[in-house]
Amino acid sequence: MDDINAADKKFLKELNAGIASLVLLGVLDRAREPIYGYRIAKIVEANKQDISMIKQGALYPVLRSLENNGLLQSKVEPSVSGPPRRYYSITDLGRQTLKRWMQIWGQTITFVNSTLGEVGSDDKY
Amino acid sequence: MRQRQRYDGFCIQGVLSMIKTIKEYLHQLRKELRGSDSAIVQDALSDAEEHLRDAYNNAITIYPSISDADAIMQVIEEYGTPEEVAAGYRDIEVRTSPALAQRVKRYEEKKRSSWPRFFGVWADSGAWGSVIYMILSLATGIAYFTWAVTGLSVSAGLLVLIIGLPLFALFLLSIRGLALIEGRIVEGLLGVRMPNRPAFTDKRQGWWDRFKSIFTDGHTWSSMLYMIMHLPMGIFYFTLIITLIGVSLWGVALPILQVLLNLNEVTGIRVHGILYQLPDWVTFITPVIGFLVFTATMHVAKRIGCWHGSVAKSMLVRRDSQG
Repeated sequence: MDDINAADKKFLKELNAGIASLVLLGVLDRAREPIYGYRIAKIVEANKQDISMIKQGALYPVLRSLENNGLLQSKVEPSVSGPPRRYYSITDLGRQTLKRWMQIWGQTITFVNSTLGEVGSDDKY
Repeated sequence: MRQRQRYDGFCIQGVLSMIKTIKEYLHQLRKELRGSDSAIVQDALSDAEEHLRDAYNNAITIYPSISDADAIMQVIEEYGTPEEVAAGYRDIEVRTSPALAQRVKRYEEKKRSSWPRFFGVWADSGAWGSVIYMILSLATGIAYFTWAVTGLSVSAGLLVLIIGLPLFALFLLSIRGLALIEGRIVEGLLGVRMPNRPAFTDKRQGWWDRFKSIFTDGHTWSSMLYMIMHLPMGIFYFTLIITLIGVSLWGVALPILQVLLNLNEVTGIRVHGILYQLPDWVTFITPVIGFLVFTATMHVAKRIGCWHGSVAKSMLVRRDSQG
């Protein structure tokens, strides 16, 4: 993490803005039962590659905003070992949205890769 | 242990190295969010607390030898600095318009003269919550009082036997559970945030140590006192609110009962065979009186709700977590 400079950080932050929503919707879509923040963060972390894309603390406001938009729903339940936990689950609207976002994501990847590929091939010739 | 080494190193930035406890982190986060909508601040604090406690518990389970300071530093590092986290919440605040709209409304309410403010209480969810709380408080008061007094006397009586001690421990735990429930009711109806509810326990402690910490914790006993006090308070609240609502309803219903339905036996009082009742023309003023009394009742309920909320907070919530 130390070798990431300011420009990289800014780039990551801008990328993350949309990706976090997509990733969280995806995680909750695959979860069979409502799960709470810390476990969601763990799942996201388990899949992360070398660089940490998203700080754990940044996931929570995204969860809140997805809930505000009706894509997620949540309920608070007391826990034995600490303060009450908020359990999130995906709504039907969230599932439909996820489907569309995955299409957009797929198109974005293809677009970005092919653009980068073209630039790369231009350089060669 | 790879992670451990990472955090032992010098890579932690200035702010994070200053934060030694979760409480300090929350304090810092609250500072960063100063000026934001209170609901956002509340969300941010409860999210952070929930996560950090979970992560901390997890860290000390995975690495039993890790020091407290290291464990906290590690979980905070992974969560992000208060500044970063606050920025995330401020971003959604911009998009969450209802909260902002409400703040503007509140500001406009302040500017209005006293009469609209007097009647504005009808639209105040806090006042309605307090009215419901006061009606409920008799039932909850009876339940808490019965439980606290029964539990206390039964377990105190059985303390001479070996069964008494676990029973007493269970009873003390149940008081904490009840305090949690009451906290939720107070938060839901009176709008007083009850932070840091079930105080988290150190999982490394043994059974006896945990019992001792519950027993010596003043919070357990103040919660129990609250349960016992809640009955007289509940009786007072219930009687007051029902009487006031009764008077208002009587005022509003009087012209209908007396003039339209002619239910003289209901609206009047018969003394020695003579029926006394208000003249018909007066009954057209009583609805106004009833309406005013009810509006005033809402203000009274709101005040009492505020006061009771602060009492509940001071008795049901640990001193060190209030802020």
